Amino acid sequence: MSELSSLQKQHAPTITDAGKVDSVLRELRKIVGESNCTASKHIRYAYSYDLSFVKPKLPDYVVMTETVEQVQELLRFANKEKIPIVPYTAGTNIGGLTIPERGGILLDLKKMNNIVAIDPESHVAVIEPGVSHAKFADALYKHKLRFGWPVGPPSASVLACAISHGIGGLNAKYGLNSQEITSMEVVLPTGELVRVGSCAIRNDAWHSCLPLPQLDGLFKGWLGSSGVVTKIGISVHPIPPLLKVFTVSCENVEDMYSYMLNLSNYEMCDDLTAVSWWLAQVPIPYPFKPKPNDAPEWFSFATTTSWTEKEREARTEIWEKVFEEEQEKGTSIKQTVYPEEALRGRTQLPSQVVGSTKNYCKQGGAGISWPGTFTPAKVWAPVYNKWKDILIAHNLSPSVRMSMYRGVHYGMLRAMIPFNKQSDEETENARHAIVECLKVDLDAGGIPYKPPIDFANEIIKRADPGYLELLRRMKKFLDPNDIMNPGKLGI
Amino acid sequence: MDWKIAELKELEDKIWRCTACGTCKTAYDYGPPPTFGEICPAGTEFGFEGFMASKGKIAFARGILSGELPWDDELLEAIYKCTICAGCQNQCQLDHKPYIPEIIEAMRRKAVAEGAGPMPLHKNLLQSMKNYNNPYQGPRRVRTDWTRPFKKAGKPIKDLNKEPAPVLFFVGCTGAFNTAARAVPTATASIFQKLGMDFGILGENEICCGSTAMRVGDSEEFKRVATKNLETFKWLHDERGVKTIISSCAGCYRAIKKDYSLSSEYDKVMEGIEVIHTADYLNRLYKEGKLKFEGELHWKVTYHDPCHTGRHLNKFIIDEEGKQLWKGAYVDVDQSECLYEQPRDLLKAIPGVELVEMKRNRANSFCCGGGGGVMTGFGEWAAKNASLRIQEGEDTGAERMVSICPFCHFNLNEGAKRIGSQVKVHDLTELIDQVLVGRSDD
Ligand SMILES: Cc1cc2nc3c(=O)[nH]c(=O)nc-3n(C[C@H](O)[C@H](O)[C@H](O)COP(=O)(O)OP(=O)(O)OC[C@H]3O[C@@H](n4cnc5c(N)ncnc54)[C@H](O)[C@@H]3O)c2cc1C
Ligand code: SF4
Ligand code: SF4
Repeated sequence: MSELSSLQKQHAPTITDAGKVDSVLRELRKIVGESNCTASKHIRYAYSYDLSFVKPKLPDYVVMTETVEQVQELLRFANKEKIPIVPYTAGTNIGGLTIPERGGILLDLKKMNNIVAIDPESHVAVIEPGVSHAKFADALYKHKLRFGWPVGPPSASVLACAISHGIGGLNAKYGLNSQEITSMEVVLPTGELVRVGSCAIRNDAWHSCLPLPQLDGLFKGWLGSSGVVTKIGISVHPIPPLLKVFTVSCENVEDMYSYMLNLSNYEMCDDLTAVSWWLAQVPIPYPFKPKPNDAPEWFSFATTTSWTEKEREARTEIWEKVFEEEQEKGTSIKQTVYPEEALRGRTQLPSQVVGSTKNYCKQGGAGISWPGTFTPAKVWAPVYNKWKDILIAHNLSPSVRMSMYRGVHYGMLRAMIPFNKQSDEETENARHAIVECLKVDLDAGGIPYKPPIDFANEIIKRADPGYLELLRRMKKFLDPNDIMNPGKLGI
Repeated sequence: MDWKIAELKELEDKIWRCTACGTCKTAYDYGPPPTFGEICPAGTEFGFEGFMASKGKIAFARGILSGELPWDDELLEAIYKCTICAGCQNQCQLDHKPYIPEIIEAMRRKAVAEGAGPMPLHKNLLQSMKNYNNPYQGPRRVRTDWTRPFKKAGKPIKDLNKEPAPVLFFVGCTGAFNTAARAVPTATASIFQKLGMDFGILGENEICCGSTAMRVGDSEEFKRVATKNLETFKWLHDERGVKTIISSCAGCYRAIKKDYSLSSEYDKVMEGIEVIHTADYLNRLYKEGKLKFEGELHWKVTYHDPCHTGRHLNKFIIDEEGKQLWKGAYVDVDQSECLYEQPRDLLKAIPGVELVEMKRNRANSFCCGGGGGVMTGFGEWAAKNASLRIQEGEDTGAERMVSICPFCHFNLNEGAKRIGSQVKVHDLTELIDQVLVGRSDD
């Protein structure tokens, strides 16, 4: 943390003279009121770091908006003055994505936290950015509805997770949380308010982004660099009463992949995930600790939900068939009891315990980062084996997760890497290992999600020039003065 | 007497266990059904992350320790805009969890030690403690004003300076000096008399427990009064036969039980003396069949858990030796000393009373807003926060809000006035006093 001041100097914001600082603050006060904006250092400081290995940097101002009109006015002003804007809801993205690269205004959207509507008949909700998973879970349950909750902090934003291609507990069934978005309202970097999806055609219709051209893609996966999303429509789902979790273990990643591939063909799971022995520990061992010889290296939980006993039995029948087939293949698959606390952390979501990073960081210390990727399932095994070598060589646990998304072709391959953030060396060691892992994955066809700049740079190095040119043009078109979360895309 | 009160620097390794995950910002329980509520009074009011829960306070602590955040008026104000309610602590699961309120108070101690803190209004309070041995600038003789009706009724309360008794009723400054909160000691003493208990008070010789001084970071002033009190307790035990200290004040109770245990002499001094809160004491008697109620109170009530009789009494199990997890690891929390059920059991026992719960209760109770020196330092905000709590009570359909702390009592009353709420605030002792059958009435 001591590097902060010098770093800040390197990335000195455009606003340097005191007179201008005052005039900016005066303007901000006019827009959001005195209690919603500040240039005080201690307030800015609390936004200067997150859990990841990304180095801390200070914003110049922090602003909290309460209305869409305020967001519009703020963006018009920032665009005119060419002041960077960093959208923020809870800062838990694990990629330094809300740490300002070039100072500017950190836009904290937590006060825009209305659940505008829940339509229990159409299974669609409309929410603002500040709605947390905790608040949404509480409200949805009253209608016996659920959502694909991530294993992240319950206080984090549903909207920020969804627009960042977030991953939740219903991914095997419904796809990524971004695929659940049905409409969007966005303030463009130049201040105009736009809508995409059905709500663009009729004000109160939030049911679908299709069959219109998918302009919602302009605001998903952009890391807050293409506009400020002020509302989304999102699909929600009824809660089937019967839960059945099938748990198995395998001695190696190849056998586990074989099982997951086989089972996912039947498309019957809400979540189909496997975790390495190190990730199944609560907490992840830090530094690396060898796995006991008699413990299997992989565990899987396949979460299924059913409406009737018969349906559950049918799912069980399919699962038993898959299990027998895998046994017949001669793989090391075994039925197993998944450690109770770890299983709770996977199935009782959102979880205060997992969200508080206990399962991940309790031993490691204040830091956590990941090579979190969408990777073709068929290369999971070779990538994992290389990751394992890299991580163990850095004295870090290969705490890896593989999750099959809707369909069978790809899914999440991620290593959760806790580290002791109090120590600069240990942080750098983790960063180095993680970036090395990421390169292996990119070269095997994987793509990182919510990428920190170190990752973005690696993506750009490998990207097709035509793609890059299109990306640049779109960015320039939407954000001519490059004010929105500048630098994060690596272009 | 030596005191083990940590400096901020000594807590640095703990401070570096926080991942900034922000889970401390909301009270959330999976259920089912899931429940969600705001938990941080400061975050609710001021919004910016620095104000938000332990995540924000730890950011300040890191900046103060690294030298990146030098003292200025705004930083100082921000570290005092926290009720030290420990609501955030209740959500966190990492190794620094047991130390979260300590970290916040250690920042304040550093501010005081370096001449920056406390806030101006706290300075008046501390000066009053030095001049009058209480934070209310109350002359000594006023301390016993609340006992006059007892004397008038021919039932004077024993003065332990003069006579022996096995029970000390430690009245506390708020109950004694704050006229709106005087109902608390009055009802307590009335109950004790009805029960025929042999108890006494220290009268004009009682001095502040030191809780507020500790909360605002003046550990020297705390040590001064705490040392004196411990010496008095020993004397009372040896010379006056005191075996039990009863308090109706959540703040005094917490201070004597928890803050005083930081003294090297605590175990020795307190040997043979039990410290107990009135609600706990009465509940024990009730369980033993020794409380008899007559008449009915047809009241719909809700119960507000004071932070100091609730989560502040958590005992944290820490792996000190590194035998179970690793050295210093937080293992679990033992809530057995938190007074969650005792007051509720008593309320439910009162004929006619219907108890309804607020959404945020027990370990996730929403602070009234008065603690941590906030009522003195930022009275307007304290009352505003209390009105949020009153509103929550009103939303349950309750007509009355009951608690067991004169501090909460006063502040919640302010909150009710602020929003013109019809909800009436009572101390539990007031209800019990109304229906308790005295021994002589038996
Ligand atoms: C222990 C742990 C486990 C996690 N597990 C998961 C998981 O299982 N799945 C998962 O998906 N994530 C996970 N996460 C990451 C993260 O918690 C979620 O993605 C979270 O919902 C992000 O919300 P946030 O409020 O923290 O977003 P922030 O970090 O504040 O923002 C994320 C990004 O979105 C941008 N942004 C925010 N709001 C807007 C807006 N209104 N308009 C435009 N851009 C905006 C920001 O600039 C930033 O680039 C985990 C995190 C932790 C700490
Ligand atoms: S105090 Fe605990 S819950 Fe709060 S941010 Fe830090 S680690 Fe997370
Ligand atoms: S102690 Fe209470 S007021 Fe202070 S930061 Fe924690 S939750 Fe907020």
